[in-house]
Amino acid sequence: MAVASSPLIVLEGIVTAYEGADRPSLRNVSLRVGPGEFVMVGGPNGAGKTTLLESIIGMLPITCGSAQVCGIDVKKQGTAVRKRAGYVIQNFSFDPLTPFTVREVVMMGRYGKLGYFRRPDRHDAELAENAMKTLEIEEFADKPIGTLSGGQQQKVLIAQNIAKEPEIMLLDEPYSNLDLYSREYISTILAGLVRKGITVVVVSHAFDGLPDLPIHAVVMNNGSITLDRACRAAEIEDIVRTTSQVPVAHA
Amino acid sequence: MLEFIIPNIILCRAIEAMASASIACAILGVIITKIGISSIGFTMSHAAFAGGAIGLFFGIPVTIAAVCASLFIAVLIGPLSDRARMSPDTTLGILFSMCMAVAIFFIAWMQTTGSGMNATMLLYGNVTSLYQHEVYGLLVVSAVAALFVIVFYKEITAIIFHRKIAESTGISTSPIFYGLLFIIAISIALSLTIIGGLLIFVWLVTPAAIASQFCRSIRSMFFVAPFVAVCISVAGAVAGLSFALPVAPLTAVIFAAVFAVAVLLSPMRRITNSKN
Ligand SMILES: Nc1ncnc2c1ncn2[C@@H]1O[C@H](COP(=O)(O)OP(=O)(O)OP(=O)(O)O)[C@@H](O)[C@H]1O
Ligand SMILES: [Mg+2]
Repeated sequence: MAVASSPLIVLEGIVTAYEGADRPSLRNVSLRVGPGEFVMVGGPNGAGKTTLLESIIGMLPITCGSAQVCGIDVKKQGTAVRKRAGYVIQNFSFDPLTPFTVREVVMMGRYGKLGYFRRPDRHDAELAENAMKTLEIEEFADKPIGTLSGGQQQKVLIAQNIAKEPEIMLLDEPYSNLDLYSREYISTILAGLVRKGITVVVVSHAFDGLPDLPIHAVVMNNGSITLDRACRAAEIEDIVRTTSQVPVAHA
Repeated sequence: MLEFIIPNIILCRAIEAMASASIACAILGVIITKIGISSIGFTMSHAAFAGGAIGLFFGIPVTIAAVCASLFIAVLIGPLSDRARMSPDTTLGILFSMCMAVAIFFIAWMQTTGSGMNATMLLYGNVTSLYQHEVYGLLVVSAVAALFVIVFYKEITAIIFHRKIAESTGISTSPIFYGLLFIIAISIALSLTIIGGLLIFVWLVTPAAIASQFCRSIRSMFFVAPFVAVCISVAGAVAGLSFALPVAPLTAVIFAAVFAVAVLLSPMRRITNSKN
C-alpha cells in the first residue's frame, strides 16, 4: 500500500489499559497509516476497536510503546493531537432537553483549535455552515440536538468534526444509525475527505455502500491487530469475516 | 454601596450581601446542574458547613475554615469525578453525612458550652450583623464567577454538552473543571455565614432549576438564573427584616415556592395541539 514517506499515525507496540482493569485492552499494537489512506477497522465486539481509536487521539492511558500522530507524541500532548484529529464517538445519546442547537454543536468542533481565549469568528461560522450543508442537515440547524433522530444526530457529530478541518478523521461505527441512502452518502463524503488527502479511519461492522477506494484493512481480535493489509472495497467483508475469531453479524 | 437608595444600613448590607451571594451561587448553579454534578456541590456545601463549625469552635475565622474544608473536599472528589468512572453516589453520600456529623457535633457541643448563638448563625445564616468587607468579599466572588463564565464560555458550554466530546475536540477540560470546583468552594464558603450551612444548597440549585423551566439555551440560563435569584433574595431580605423573620429560611421557602410555580407554568411540558 502507498504509505507515504511520513506516516500520520505511527503506533509501535502500544499497550493501553483502562483504569481499574486487570489486563490491558490493547496489547502490543503496531500500526502505520499514511496521509490520505482509507482505513477500515473490523473485528468482533470487544476486540478493542474503540480502544484503538481512543489511544490514537490520546484519550486513554498508553502504558507501553510509542505513539506519534501528526508528528506529535500522543502520550505527552494528547490535547494537541485532538486539535488536529477528528473523532466521532460510538455511543452517544442526547437528552431531548439538552439546550444546544445543531448549529452550536457543529460549531464546537472549532473550539479546540481556537484555544482558550479566542472566540469563534465569521470564518469559524462559515466552516460550521459548510459542514452542515455537506451533511445535508442545514434544515435542522436551529433545532435542539436532542430532538433529532439517532441518524440525524450522527450526522451532526460528523459535521462537527468536518468543521474542525482535521488531518485525520476517526469514526467509530458511523453507519450504525444510518439508513441505506445515508450510508452511501456518508461514504461519498468520506471518500471526498480521502481525496483531499485526509486520513480516514472507520470502525464498522457494515461493509455495504463503501466508496470505491483502495482500502487499508485492519482486523482486530482480542486486543491485537491480527490482519493489516491493503485490499479493495469488494473484498473487505470477506476478509473481516474470515479473520475475525468470532463471526461478525451480517449488517 | 446602595446606602443612597436604602438608608437603613442593616437592610442595605443585607440586600447587598444576599444579592451578591445569589449571583455567584446562581451562575455556578447553572454549570453544576447542567454538567450533572449537583451532588458535588451538595457535598462541598456541607463540607464548608463542617469547616465553619470547626472554625467557630477553635476560634479560627469561619470563612477561612470553610474555604479550607470545601477545597479539601474538592481536592478529594475532584479526581474521582474528573475521570467520571466512579459512581459518585455512595462516596459522596458518605462524605456528605460525615460533614454533617462533624458540623452538628461541634454545634451541639458549642450549645452545651453556651456559645450557641454563633452556632445557630451557621445553621440558618445571619444578615443583620454584616461588615462592609464581607459584602465586598461576596461582590468580588460574584464578579469572579461571572468572569469565569464569560472568559471560558465556549469551554464551559462544550463540557455541559458532553464531557467526552468536549475533550475530543481538543479542549483541556480538566483545568476548567478544577477552576470551577475552586470557585464553587470560595463562593460557598463566603456565603456560608449569611445563608447558613443548611440552606446554601438551595441557592446553588434552585435558581438554575427555575431558569431551566423556561430557558431553551444555556446563554439565557446564565442571565435568568442570577436575575431570579437576586429578585427572590432581595424580596426575602426585605420581607424578613421588615417582619422580623429569619431571612435565609424565609428566602429558601420563597425559592421553593417559585420553583413549584415555575414547574406548573413551564412551557417545556406542553404538547402541541396542532394537527399537522
Ligand atoms: N471503560 C472500560 N473499563 C474497562 N474495560 C473496558 C472499558 N471499555 C472497554 N473495556 C474493555 O476493553 C475491551 C475492548 O473494548 P472496545 O470498546 O475497544 O471494543 P470494541 O472493539 O470497540 O467493541 P464494539 O464492537 O462492541 O464496539 C473489551 O474487552 C472491554 O471489556
Ligand atoms: Mg466500540
